[in-house]
Amino acid sequence: MKKILLFSLFSLSFSAFGQKPEDIIDKINTKIAGAKDYTVNAHIDADIPMIQIMPSKAKIYFKQKDKFKIESKGISILPKQGFTELNVFLSDKSKYTAVFGDSLKIRDVDTRLINIIPNSSSGEIILAKIWVDQKNSVIMRSQVTTQSNGTVKTDFKYGNQLSYGLPSELKFEIDVKKFKMPKSVAADINKTSTDKKKTKSKPKSKGTITITLTDYAVNTGLSDSIFKDKKK
Amino acid sequence: MLLKNTYNELIKILSKPRSYLGLGALTILIGIIIFAMKADGESMVSFVTSSFEQTLSFNGKLVNGNLIAFIILQMLVVHIPLLIALVTGDLISGEAAMGTIRMLASKPISRTSIVLSKFFAGAIYTFVITIWLGILAVFVSHWVFGTGDLMVLNSDGLVILPESDILWRFGLAFCVAYLSLLTVATLSICLSAFAENSIGPIVATMAIIIIFTIIGSLDVSVFDSIKPYLFTTHMASWRSFFEQPVPFDEIMNSVVILLTHIVLLVGITIFKFNKKDITS
Repeated sequence: MKKILLFSLFSLSFSAFGQKPEDIIDKINTKIAGAKDYTVNAHIDADIPMIQIMPSKAKIYFKQKDKFKIESKGISILPKQGFTELNVFLSDKSKYTAVFGDSLKIRDVDTRLINIIPNSSSGEIILAKIWVDQKNSVIMRSQVTTQSNGTVKTDFKYGNQLSYGLPSELKFEIDVKKFKMPKSVAADINKTSTDKKKTKSKPKSKGTITITLTDYAVNTGLSDSIFKDKKK
Repeated sequence: MLLKNTYNELIKILSKPRSYLGLGALTILIGIIIFAMKADGESMVSFVTSSFEQTLSFNGKLVNGNLIAFIILQMLVVHIPLLIALVTGDLISGEAAMGTIRMLASKPISRTSIVLSKFFAGAIYTFVITIWLGILAVFVSHWVFGTGDLMVLNSDGLVILPESDILWRFGLAFCVAYLSLLTVATLSICLSAFAENSIGPIVATMAIIIIFTIIGSLDVSVFDSIKPYLFTTHMASWRSFFEQPVPFDEIMNSVVILLTHIVLLVGITIFKFNKKDITS
């Protein structure tokens, strides 16, 4: 009787908590791998301290596994990391150890935190946290700390490309504490010290870049030549 | 009579080789800048954006005709005053040095009209220099580098202006740059009325610009009360057209101060020239 009870308890616990974080990541990877290539129109709205830029439009090209290109008529600003790095890193299970964390509700969606700890200390990523919507196998939020770029937090929203795990909106929160103006080129000789004091308000330490993605064209068979840099 | 005399003054300016020195120097300088930016413009821009590029990536054509035009305007508005003063500083003192001032003053035209015609001729010369600068900076740069969004660096950070929102800024910036160069021209004409040779007013004009610029750039509060009234403080106000939003009030203030300087300097010149002893 005791054995049956123990077996029942074990079975119950296995069914509830049996899914390993790696399995969840596998599901995410499989979903993303479904989109072998895509092009999408991006509307980029950046609110970054020390940078004034109007919203811009761009076209993004992506091809598995890590071919990425952005085309814009004007100047557009994007976070240095965030589009492909995390997915590429997650696709190689030998590179990291995944550990479950807390549960969190993000925009009314139940998510589970998975901490991604790299196995090697020499890689670019120091620590990654992903909040996963287990029902749809998509990342709802990520927070990636890298050696050179600091911490970038990304919120994902999904629309009609949910089946491929492709977001309709990405909101990056980046650390801007490191920004310093090169004084030799930024000197305004006509600005008095009182002017400078007037303009010096408390600097923001975080900047956000919101990218709205529309008109996805998935699996159209993009050629590799698109990703080759044209000589300037 | 005033118009006729202005025409005569223009012919005098055109007949002097030094008048072409400014245009020639501008052409060579801008040619060198365009060549240098074509050869190594990317690295210059990356020096500006390097601090941001640890976290952000800049996409699109950063080195374009608009950026080059802005760099040229920024570099040369500091140096063009010398080229202007070289011609306008000679307008009255040159007559005194050559001994033609007596003949000029004996013509059936008032001394005030003589000064005004020299001022108008100097203003036209300054206008030609500014237009030539504009043609070379904007049109040649666009022809060589193409157009694109403009990335401007100021002490508050980076301002990126869309391509469609730039041309009017250049237009108005050149108008204000012209006004600041006209102030320099008027100053040198004014100094020219006090001198008997050409070198003095030219050197004195440059000395005043250098001294005022140094006072303006010194971050010492004791000068803060006089800085707003120095014309050199407002010579770079054309740059404000490349801020977002454009501080029109500040620009208008600069325009008023520059115009006040021009009126005041022309007034002093008229007063001095009317009192000038041309018999000795």
